[in-house]
Formats: sequence, structure tokens, C-alpha cells
Amino acid sequence: MKNNKVYKKLIKEHTPEELAEAFVFPVKLTKKQQKEAAEQLAAARKKTRESRTEEIKNSLRLQHLKFRIEDYLDVKKEYNPEFTFGFFLKQYVELLEKKRKDFADEISIDETLLSQLINNHRLPPDYITIRLEIHSGNIIPATYWIRLIEKQRLHDISTNEDLRRIEKKFVTRVITEKQTA
Amino acid sequence: MYIIEVCSGVCKKAIISQVEPDDFANLTQERYFFTWKSLRQTAAIYKLQIEGNDDILGVMALVDHQSEKRIEIKLLASSIENKGRFKQYDRIIGCLIAYACQLSADRYLEDACVSLVPKTTLVNHYKQKYHMIYGGWQLYLEDAPLQRLINEYA
Repeated sequence: MKNNKVYKKLIKEHTPEELAEAFVFPVKLTKKQQKEAAEQLAAARKKTRESRTEEIKNSLRLQHLKFRIEDYLDVKKEYNPEFTFGFFLKQYVELLEKKRKDFADEISIDETLLSQLINNHRLPPDYITIRLEIHSGNIIPATYWIRLIEKQRLHDISTNEDLRRIEKKFVTRVITEKQTA
Repeated sequence: MYIIEVCSGVCKKAIISQVEPDDFANLTQERYFFTWKSLRQTAAIYKLQIEGNDDILGVMALVDHQSEKRIEIKLLASSIENKGRFKQYDRIIGCLIAYACQLSADRYLEDACVSLVPKTTLVNHYKQKYHMIYGGWQLYLEDAPLQRLINEYA
């Protein structure tokens, strides 16, 4: 069935509201209409841009970061040693175009602590993740920051053969056979 | 992101991902209204599923206009049982449009924009339901309305 026929059939069976809640239909424009549409949209967007606030600019930048973190936290995504808590925190500060000193002040921590966190010399206490959540206007939840640390920890613990060798001597008995009741 | 089972009011986590080649065999015109396969060369096609369930409840075709920093929704459809008064799940379309907004924000940061060319009869409903702005032939989302839709659905 041609696309326009689909629409004509559906509009007989449903209200426009119901269709808007289930479809975006394909609309064919002529070359002339396409040109006109592009010009109209460019003019409308120019106006929107002129009235853009700093708050909106920052929140959309943080949406970008949130999307990146979500993508990395997907269980199907492999661990990447580069994507640490510190890596994403650095991105956060840079996206907001803030000086580290100013950002540290905004979440009431010492600039030295911020540097340690960014450079992966320290893991963040829980309160830092909560402050980041509040600072982002709840765009990036504290749980995202915690899950980044967890992903790193899970990788470390599952690949740490040295620690396994060291700890082995403290285990005096190994259950090697399946125990039955 | 979540959708709501209309009969029970239960929220279910929605997962949106790109359609895989094998999916096209299931994206039939009978259930998804259009020939989605014909768009695979010209658009990126995304599907909405409930977490842990392979069934596809909604499909969306996007075209990225990089030079304009804009993502256009070319086509979007719920599956046949999710349209009209007696639909099984609510919020499918909102989640898909919000996902397009997230993609746009990911690619274009504060310049993110999502647009569509609407059927004239549906213009007001897109504006009311999804905060779309009138831009001549097209409706679009940008700035605060785009952020608002993400907040509502994502």
C-alpha cells in the first residue's frame, strides 16, 4: 500500500490526536517546497538561537555527556580503561567551560581534591556524586557516577591475578567437588 | 525511558537501538504500516522494545542533516496493536522522539535540533503533545522545548 493510502485509511478510522500519538507520516515536498522549508526553518532557528540562555546551553551539553555515559554503561559495552570516573568528570567541567577552581567552589570542594578525582588519584566519596547530581540539575544522576566506578571495579577484580595469587595462601581449604545435600 | 501498559498502568523499561539486518524480516507492512526496508539506504532506523523482550513496538527512521546540525524524523510508527483508543502501551512515540532529541544533543550539543514535516491535520497535536515549534513547512524541537521533551520521556 502506498504511504499516502495508509494515511487516508487510518484517518478514516482514528482521530488526528490518536494518529499523532502513533505516527509521523512521510510527506513528500516538491523541490521548490523543500527549498522553502529549509529557508523557513533556518530563519526560525536563527530566532531561537538569539534567545538561547546559558542555562539551556549548559543543560543540552550535559545531555550529550549523559548520553555518552549511558552508552558506556550499557552492559554490552566492553570496559575501556580510558573511561574512568575522572575522565567523565573532566569532560563535565570542560563542557561547562568552567575553570577548575570555580567548579570546585560551586560544589564546595577543594581544588586539589577535584584534581585528584580528575586524574584518577582518588575515588569519589558518595557525597561528591550527590553534589554532581544536584549541580547538573538532576540531568546526570549520582547513580551514573557510581556505576562508572563499579564498572571499573568489576573489571579490576575480575582481572587481578596478582591479588588472587596473594590471597590464595590464606585459604586453607578449597571446595573442589560439588557438595550434595 | 519507560512506556506504560494501558490496562495495568505498569511502567516498563523501554530500550531503543538501531534496527539490525535480521529485523527487517519482522518489520512487515501489516504490523508496521510501511515498507521499512526501502528506507535502509537513506535513513538510520531505530526500534523500541521492552527490556528483555524481542518484540518491536515502535520504529523510527531518522535522517541526519549534518550541515544544518539537525536530525529529521522521516517516518515513525507504532506497531498495529499500539495505535488508537485501545492501544496496549502508551508513550511509545514520545520515547522515540525524545531519543531523536538525545541523539541530536549528543551530536550537536546546544545546537541540537529535531524536525519533521507534518501532515497538516496533525500539526496542532504534535505541538501540544510534544512541544513542537512551528517552522513553516516543518515543525521542530530546539532549545528549551527539546530539553523539556527529553525530561518528560528520557
